[in-house]
Amino acid sequence: MKQALTWRLLAREWRSGELGILLMALVLAVSVVVGVSSFVTRLQSALLSESARFLAADMVVVSRSPIPEPWLFAAEQQQLQPTEVVGFPSMAVADIDHMALASIKAVSPGYPLRGELLWSLEPYGEVRATGAIPDVGEVWLAPRLFALLDVELGESIIVGEQPLLVSGAVRGEPDATTAVFGFGPRLLMNTADIPATGVIQPGSRVEYRLLLSGAPDAIASFTEWVKPQLGQGQRLDSVEGAQPSIGETLDRAQGFLLLAGSLAVVLAAAAITLASRRFGERHTQYVAILKSLGAQSPEIASLYGRSLFWIGLLGTLLGCALGWVLQEAFIRVLGTLLPVEPGAAGLKPVLIGAVTAAVCLMFFAWPPLRRLGQASPLRVLRADMGVAEAQRSRDFVLGSIAIVALMWWYSGSALVTGAVIAGLSVVMGLGYVAASILLSGGRSVGGFAGSLWRVALAGLQRRGRANALQMVIFAMAIMLMLLLSVVRTSLIGQWQAQLPADAPNHFLMNLAPEERPELQRFFADNEILSEMLYPMTRGRVISVNDAALPRWEELEEDGAPRQREANFTWSEQLPTGNALLAGEWWAADTDEAWVSLEEEFASDIGAALGDRLSLRIGADSLEATVLNIRSVDWQSMRPNFFMVFPPKVLQAFPGMYMTSFRLLPEQKSLLNQLVGILPTVTVIELDIVIREMRVVIDQVARALELVLGVILLAGGLVLISGVRSSLDGRLRESALLRAVGARKGVVLGALWIEFLVLGGLAGALASVGAEVAAWGLQTQVFEMSWTPTPLMWALGPSLGAVIVGALGVWSCRRVVNVPPVVILREV
Amino acid sequence: MIKVSQLLKTVPTADGDLTILRGVDLEIVAGTSAAIVGASGSGKSTLLGLLAGMDVASAGEVWLDGVNLSALDEDARARLRAEKVGFVFQNFQLLPALTAKENVMLPLELAGIREAGSIAERFLREVGLQERLGHYPTTLSGGEQQRVAIARAFAREPAVLFADEPTGNLDTRTGERIIDLLFELNARASTTLVLVTHDERLAERCDQRFSMTAGELSGP
Repeated sequence: MKQALTWRLLAREWRSGELGILLMALVLAVSVVVGVSSFVTRLQSALLSESARFLAADMVVVSRSPIPEPWLFAAEQQQLQPTEVVGFPSMAVADIDHMALASIKAVSPGYPLRGELLWSLEPYGEVRATGAIPDVGEVWLAPRLFALLDVELGESIIVGEQPLLVSGAVRGEPDATTAVFGFGPRLLMNTADIPATGVIQPGSRVEYRLLLSGAPDAIASFTEWVKPQLGQGQRLDSVEGAQPSIGETLDRAQGFLLLAGSLAVVLAAAAITLASRRFGERHTQYVAILKSLGAQSPEIASLYGRSLFWIGLLGTLLGCALGWVLQEAFIRVLGTLLPVEPGAAGLKPVLIGAVTAAVCLMFFAWPPLRRLGQASPLRVLRADMGVAEAQRSRDFVLGSIAIVALMWWYSGSALVTGAVIAGLSVVMGLGYVAASILLSGGRSVGGFAGSLWRVALAGLQRRGRANALQMVIFAMAIMLMLLLSVVRTSLIGQWQAQLPADAPNHFLMNLAPEERPELQRFFADNEILSEMLYPMTRGRVISVNDAALPRWEELEEDGAPRQREANFTWSEQLPTGNALLAGEWWAADTDEAWVSLEEEFASDIGAALGDRLSLRIGADSLEATVLNIRSVDWQSMRPNFFMVFPPKVLQAFPGMYMTSFRLLPEQKSLLNQLVGILPTVTVIELDIVIREMRVVIDQVARALELVLGVILLAGGLVLISGVRSSLDGRLRESALLRAVGARKGVVLGALWIEFLVLGGLAGALASVGAEVAAWGLQTQVFEMSWTPTPLMWALGPSLGAVIVGALGVWSCRRVVNVPPVVILREV
Repeated sequence: MIKVSQLLKTVPTADGDLTILRGVDLEIVAGTSAAIVGASGSGKSTLLGLLAGMDVASAGEVWLDGVNLSALDEDARARLRAEKVGFVFQNFQLLPALTAKENVMLPLELAGIREAGSIAERFLREVGLQERLGHYPTTLSGGEQQRVAIARAFAREPAVLFADEPTGNLDTRTGERIIDLLFELNARASTTLVLVTHDERLAERCDQRFSMTAGELSGP
């Protein structure tokens, strides 16, 4: 058929509204998919950078001997930026009475390649991040070292044979957790000063770290080149190994975004199906006329196929553009959070958007239009001819397969897809049966009611089948909206619960038993909130069931059981925030040599329930049997331990104490007093990290709200499409009622009742489906605990009734505003 | 021109097959007009659908301008309609999304005729609607809509014109003017006209008159 006719029909159809909804649904599906997948791609690159920050580089070569020159040369050849770090424990001496074992870290210009080095002039003074490192001849000390050495800014200390000027306090290193050189407080110096100190001798315990940053391809090719050359005591550390505490939050946010994107696709597909179906129904008569005038089936198919192609093209282009705007909005919202400018999203999201559009058009929009080609021309003489139901069932099955495949491909998770499909199946199966029963019973109830109700309930029953289908569609849309709100609320709630406003923000370690009263007095005097004091000792697991474990550097294959050194404590009860995974807890007064292991630690040393461990604690040894395995919430700001023993077992061993406490920003200077009173304790400042985590959580929560808004829009579109799908019938009946003398109030009241009942029932069904899906998602996907959501059970039906009622009556408002004869003529 | 022999049409229903046409025989000479009259439900419209090739018979044959419709598939019958058949319906059957002119252009465009626009304008002038070219069907009166439908039917200069109760939705006066127009154009174009109606006065104006009762045809 002629191109001009296609355009003319398209242009005119635009006015009828169905094409608008079809296009909007398509634009929404594509834009959400493109927006969310671009954002997730960029978020992933930012996440990698975030991880890289904890390594201070994209990759690190670690060696116990100096890094070979050719390696450095090869890195530069690959356009990688290198910087060297050398770490070793050594004495720092202020004078004959003041010396301390320090964990020395010598850095070169460029350090850190990722993240920031934080420092201050005074020990607990204002934190700076200037990109500087200690100049040649200068050192920065950990705040505790100032007290231990009794030095001030501008004084000198000696490392080995070299006097060095104290020019600052080191407050935060990005790689503090991955580059540990002994247990003393940190002393940061310049690598240029190392030869003059003369402390590095053959046999010294030194760790050389070559930090590298650059393009992922260059990192990969350097890794490939250097890996075969690694010798004894040499290894590569990559970002995958450095798990930042924020990573899990962003990981879950990413999971949520992908889930939301999948739901948007389901909703948009439903809207597309409804709009296309109504378009098809309204066009059956057109096609009959065209056929009576001599148009053939292939021409009809070509006309609608071409119309769909242009709508698809326009929808995809608009969707991609809008998706780009959406991801820019996400990035803006999260702008302050991302440590580096996230990389480009590339073309993949556009491809995903185009495939989504193609699938939506092919499986949801096309089937009702394809059926048009089969419409009989006889309809011009007999308008009451139906459409083959068998074909609709086939289309439904094909559409369902397509949507499951699309969700699976898009979310990359069978669990996410399974949970949502389970919820939807409950809504559809249970819903359809319940709706049919309720609707068929409507008239018998209506018989006893007033005329308003009788009209409304008769209407509900008369279109029983169509209403049941419409109700299931409303229920699906409401379910997906409820589901997303519930998951979002519990995700954000859980994150915020992790970091309550009064969470401890400092750790204190290395407290001698006799110092405990002094610390407690200090806390009491200054009104500082603290956790209980945990006894802590350090030791090494050397064998399991008498089989000696290799040391880390002797390991022949990655991941094999090995020796582990760890802090451990003793406790009568299971520590707060821990959960027993296997075995049982001991009686408080037991003197049996039991031990409780953290799950990953147990896997590192290759130990299971009932295994006998041999430990070395200082010069002593201890044997204990594994009584249970625990999981630990590492994101809580409480002291956590890999191994816990019964009190009587460990009390004979020398131990120190640790605790965590909360300092307000204005109390920060108390730390100087504290290290003055107790110079040997180590204070770890977490307030900076916690502040950062809180910002991340707030920003991610805002991003989730943004996505939720988009999903609500998609849900609204489905509801509008659903209402419109039965509009002609309702308009005709209402116009007839008015024509035979019904007052406006009766017609409007009957419409209100009809839509309120439909919406309320749909909301109730939606609550059941959402609860099922929320259970699946929370327990299986997000690894959270599930609790029923009573609020949803109340909100579902009432919101459903109000939204569907208002939308329905609004869509049908013409029936009371326009003379009935006009409506009857139009429909 | 139109020849029907032993035409049978049954449709399946919940209570078994329902026979709508029972062995209808009919012959209409080219260039003449014929009326098929009968009460509602007598099978007139079903017969019209079969004559125009819009439906297939359960048994029997329909010959239209020398072509056996029973031997053609749906698309071949559509092609035949495009070439040789025009329609005027009781409820006009105009496409509401198209203007009066575009509605008349439709069959011409389907046939790939380039001058569709000027031909449509000429025929709309002939039916007195030259002032209404850009109007949509909903803004036209019933009589005007039927005149657009007549213009559309004659625009392709068909060999046969089928009219299904063409005055059924119109008042008597408008109906008479429409019929005058229909017969005038028909005479000018020498088209074979087949009219289905229950209006005896209208039937009397035709050359032949057939009567349909409970699926059986009698006359002329």
